[in-house]
Amino acid sequence: MATENSMPSASESLGRDDRLIAGFAALAIAIHILEAAFPSPLPGVKPGLANVVTVVVLLRYGWYTAAWVAALRVLAGSLLVGTFLSPTFIMSASGAVAALLALWLARALAGRWLGALGYSVCAALAHMGTQLVVAWQLFIPHPALLNLAPFLLTAALVFGIVSGVIAATVLAKLDAGPEPARA
Amino acid sequence: MNLVRPADAVVVALAALLIGAAWASLWSRGGPAEFAEITTSPASSGGPVVLDLGRDATVEVAGRMGPSRIEVRDGRARFADSPCVGRLCVHAGWLSRSGQVAACLPNGVILEVTGGDREFDAISF
Repeated sequence: MATENSMPSASESLGRDDRLIAGFAALAIAIHILEAAFPSPLPGVKPGLANVVTVVVLLRYGWYTAAWVAALRVLAGSLLVGTFLSPTFIMSASGAVAALLALWLARALAGRWLGALGYSVCAALAHMGTQLVVAWQLFIPHPALLNLAPFLLTAALVFGIVSGVIAATVLAKLDAGPEPARA
Repeated sequence: MNLVRPADAVVVALAALLIGAAWASLWSRGGPAEFAEITTSPASSGGPVVLDLGRDATVEVAGRMGPSRIEVRDGRARFADSPCVGRLCVHAGWLSRSGQVAACLPNGVILEVTGGDREFDAISF
């Protein structure tokens, strides 16, 4: 990533953004696939550690970059895991879109006060809530499915807090790190 | 920069509150009852006696063995006394959640609280 320190010009700075997005997306995809390899103890519950990357990018480079990273992660991740356009992909994509919207809203409403933990919890709850509604509407249109909501949302809150603490730690380390370690 | 900012704590607290409300609304048992319905066997003339749980009252219902005294207080209802042997109906205590039933079978008097959200459509023993 040494190239990012080269002299910025109009096209160079655009290229720097692209490289940032590609690099972080690659990191997020790696985490995504690593997580997919672990069997989930409970159906529908996943730590969602790839969202750490989204939150870190959001806080360092803004919503636009974070949206790119998340979108690429869902797209490329599903291609690599082999779930592209499957129900899993629809769930994953709708959750990611909801999480990004929640992050955008949180930033617009309370961006000055919120830290990584708050963003992460917002994103996790939006992610889980939307997935539940999508699953209910598209795949299992039975009202009993909604009874799982408190259970799944509790899991989302716990994992959101865990991801948030990780993201906050990563951000603190990035802020404290020497110049080449940043970005 | 602190790892956790005050606003983060607020977000977590709000989220916990929301989830708590979801647990409460989806996993709690039936809501508070609104009426007490007293059925006798053989059926009394005029059908079951219906009492508003919002109004405290004590009524006596004639059963096979004698009068059962049913008390309504603070939105709950109970058998205060019954002429049966074991007093199982009295020991059933206060009924407050919609769908709960207490019965004095020897005397043929059944007390059920209904109205509002019910946990079950019916209970059979």
